[in-house]
Amino acid sequence: MSAAANGTGTRTGTREFDVVVIGGGPGGSSVATLIARRGHSVALLEKERFPRYQIGESLLPATVHGVCRLLEVTEDLERAAFMVKRGGTFRWGTSPDPWNFLFALSPQFSGPTSYAYQVDRMVFDDILLRNAARHGVDVREQCPVAAVLRDGEGRAEAVRYTDAAGASQTVRARFVIDASGNTGRLWNQVTDDRHYSDFFKNIAVFGYFLGGKRLPGPDRGNILCAAFDEGWCWYIPLSEELTSVGAVVHRGNAALIQADREKALLELTGRCDIVADYLSKATRVTDGVHGQVRVRKDYSYATGSFVRDGMLLVGDAACFIDPVFSTGVHLATYGGLLAARSINSVLSGELDEASVMAEFEGRYRREYSVFYEFLTAFYDMQQHEDSYFWQARKVTEFGETDLEAFATLVGGVASGDAALAPEAASQRLSAASRDLTSAVAATGPMQTESGERMGTLFKAPVVASVMAEMNQIQARGVLGDGARENPVLPGGLVPSSDGLGWARRDQR
Amino acid sequence: MAPTSPITKDTVRAQVAEVLDELEANIGDHDDLLDRGIDSIRLMSLVEWCRQRGAEVSFVDLAEVPTVAAWTEVLSQATQDVRGITA
Repeated sequence: MSAAANGTGTRTGTREFDVVVIGGGPGGSSVATLIARRGHSVALLEKERFPRYQIGESLLPATVHGVCRLLEVTEDLERAAFMVKRGGTFRWGTSPDPWNFLFALSPQFSGPTSYAYQVDRMVFDDILLRNAARHGVDVREQCPVAAVLRDGEGRAEAVRYTDAAGASQTVRARFVIDASGNTGRLWNQVTDDRHYSDFFKNIAVFGYFLGGKRLPGPDRGNILCAAFDEGWCWYIPLSEELTSVGAVVHRGNAALIQADREKALLELTGRCDIVADYLSKATRVTDGVHGQVRVRKDYSYATGSFVRDGMLLVGDAACFIDPVFSTGVHLATYGGLLAARSINSVLSGELDEASVMAEFEGRYRREYSVFYEFLTAFYDMQQHEDSYFWQARKVTEFGETDLEAFATLVGGVASGDAALAPEAASQRLSAASRDLTSAVAATGPMQTESGERMGTLFKAPVVASVMAEMNQIQARGVLGDGARENPVLPGGLVPSSDGLGWARRDQR
Repeated sequence: MAPTSPITKDTVRAQVAEVLDELEANIGDHDDLLDRGIDSIRLMSLVEWCRQRGAEVSFVDLAEVPTVAAWTEVLSQATQDVRGITA
């Protein structure tokens, strides 16, 4: 079925593959590796030379113990000795005391998968890309893609790019995957519709510090997210010495931040009490790759469709959701896993393309929508009556277009047809916020008896929805063939026994 | 989804034995299954088995009292709830 692993030329200057992947970040590397694992030929075109800088340093267990095990890269990650994170610590909501969202249900249920990593993305992304090459993916760096080419019927059939020597090249493939990240422009080859949420239109300014304090005891590796009047700060321990620190604020501050980035970062972190205290004896890194103060729009968005006529969107090319819960790499690698399962199932002739692409899009959109709901509730928890930033992030301030977009997202996923009414969507978000607020209150501060037990939080419906697929992915990574999974979508597919394709329920 | 087999202590025990790779005879009604090697990942797998049988239970429901006897109770309750709604 598949061409030889190194591709076979069919016409001058053109090489043919089963799949071509655009972009070598975690989403692109994951989908490429998981397709190559089934013996199909894959080319991956990356515009830069790795290792290269990237933001989004805090991972979730579903990536580390789920997708990364399927990628067969676990030992490389262990050797890299990344900072171990047992959860997130939040100075957020009504209580002045920080509280924990831990990955382990309770101390008794703290198992070998109850942790994730904080990673320097220069190192992590490079490990994943080299791993893709080791699995037979034809990785080509410094190869920016210029265009996706379609055949007479409009199906994606090739990609034109510039090689490292500056020459124009073409690769043909049965499937094209756009994993070119938040700066890519090829997604509009799938649809010109992309909804940016007004609610989450934030801007982030960030840099790196040496010698910052650490959270006490077992929480020393946790991400710390702390709300203050004008927004919130992240504080991510990347090693014993190095900390990634950023401030997320209203987009209206963009001009002020751009005028003097360093001053803005120091002033904003200085107004966030706990972070100011943790940085009191720290110095900002001023040279090397960590020496710059960077700015990025943290807008949340979802593209109107993730797949059309042989072209699929994965990672930030498909959607992005606010970074407060460390979802970036999870959504990208999860999207990569789904895309690989769908393409593998078509290439092997097991299932028809329409069914598997509906499964890809439906599951991916569901995952985006549950995080969207969770994060909306999460922002709504924070009380700052006098703050413009926080006032605008109450569920009651949700704009009409955002509400419609959310209603379509949720309605479409749940029932496969009609959208929720906007009033119902609004009530649903308010209920999620109330549930979350009371669960956080019942859990109590970090490192107390109740604060070590996540049962109440995990039971809150909005949290349970967020955990459902992540838990499945982890179980799949750990148990392999022994994992048991039910359809996520009504009448939908389940993973095949190797976890790399789809199957109908009765065929397993 | 229709339940494929009734939930009894023995069917629960059989599933637990399978995920633990142990003999059914070695698992008592009231043994703490945490001590026998049930972890969160294996529990997830059991939750999926339950859902397949129409018992809508969560990971946390099962984790609260990890014994065959308690799970049988939780599962029969959850199955009845589902039947009550769909009846």
